[in-house]
Amino acid sequence: MTAADGLHAGRRVTPFSIESVDPARIKTVAAILQDPTPMHLDPAANRARGMGGALSTQGALNMTWFVETAVRFAGGVDRLVSFKVRFLANVFAGERFECTGTITAIDGDAARAELELVATADGRPVLGGTAVIKTG
Amino acid sequence: MPDYAELVGRRFPAGTYTLPEYVCWLWLDAAQLPPAYEAHPGLAHVVATYGMGVSVQEIVAMMGATVEDGVAFGEFGVEYHESLRAGATYECDAEVLEVERKRGRRSGIFDRLSFRVTIRERGSEAPVAVCTNAWIFPRGGR
Amino acid sequence: MSDYAHLAGHRFPGGTYTLAPWLSWLWSDACKLEPDWGTAHQGLAYLVALRGAGVSIQDIFDLMDATADSGVVFGEFQVDYHGVLRPGATYKCEAEVVDVERKSGRRAGVFDKFTFQVKVREQGSEDVTVVCTNSWIFPRAEGE
Repeated sequence: MTAADGLHAGRRVTPFSIESVDPARIKTVAAILQDPTPMHLDPAANRARGMGGALSTQGALNMTWFVETAVRFAGGVDRLVSFKVRFLANVFAGERFECTGTITAIDGDAARAELELVATADGRPVLGGTAVIKTG
Repeated sequence: MPDYAELVGRRFPAGTYTLPEYVCWLWLDAAQLPPAYEAHPGLAHVVATYGMGVSVQEIVAMMGATVEDGVAFGEFGVEYHESLRAGATYECDAEVLEVERKRGRRSGIFDRLSFRVTIRERGSEAPVAVCTNAWIFPRGGR
Repeated sequence: MSDYAHLAGHRFPGGTYTLAPWLSWLWSDACKLEPDWGTAHQGLAYLVALRGAGVSIQDIFDLMDATADSGVVFGEFQVDYHGVLRPGATYKCEAEVVDVERKSGRRAGVFDKFTFQVKVREQGSEDVTVVCTNSWIFPRAEGE
């Protein structure tokens, strides 16, 4: 279902999920971003920090999934007006990422809806924030 | 402890970035998403990071830190005025909005640096997207 | 039919390139080899040479009037090693076109063999670390 199908405050945002975060893709993002941070490249780096032996994702990747949740709910990229996200905790390769939320406000005159979104990795909160989408 | 509040208003050198089609494709693949978009809105981060005319290392150094200090993303937001386009060249202006010294119960003393990157397509005055970043610089102390 | 033989001797801008440790590590990992923060795989000579030559893949395509859809392929690649590549080192590169030969093969049809060479030295040293000689194959349609 998209925003076109009966909007109201309190309505749940369709969850978006990545069943298992792929470590190879984390490395692709590192290459695209020219990111030297070892925790996105070398499992030993996170092991040394006491954070298990899996690669952690980049904030940019987590944010892209957060945005994807809003875009899918809104019905297209041109229907996303804005978003703001806080990074609460790391997401690790192999974890299940899920983002969902609720509509918190509707502005009928402006044809806008505000969403509050929360993302988890294996159930742990990792992102929180808001997005504004077009409804008309 | 040095205070970085005087950085407020500092403008970074303007920069440009052409968003290659292959990066658009690869970003979707890396995010394990279907090839449903020309340029995913999440790429605003990539455009801003490459186009803002200053490197991550330079911003970290400006705040008297190194990447080993545990600098972290705090918040990130984007206001979209148009969709990003694969192959487009973007011009980016960036400036420091705020530097706040804060103290958290678990995190100790830290500086929160907020800066804004305005992205325009080359040749156009109208912004395509405005990105607001907040980075956290731990300063130790409890 | 256009001939690109006149490009022989063309010098690329050259430049410097720092082989970042993260990139060295990621290269080995991407090739499913044992990555090591202190050692660079010698196969990275290709990347150091291309980046340090001051010319992109697209630049070479433009020089040869080709595009990403032209079916350009690697022909040959040769590296003469005089030293070992090191993660974190900065390299100074000089590059020039050696030869462009128009050839034809029964199966391959008409093509241009474009050969260029990059000399890589660690910054501050006169000694050459590696010399990379690349040839790329540019398929040409009949009459092109």
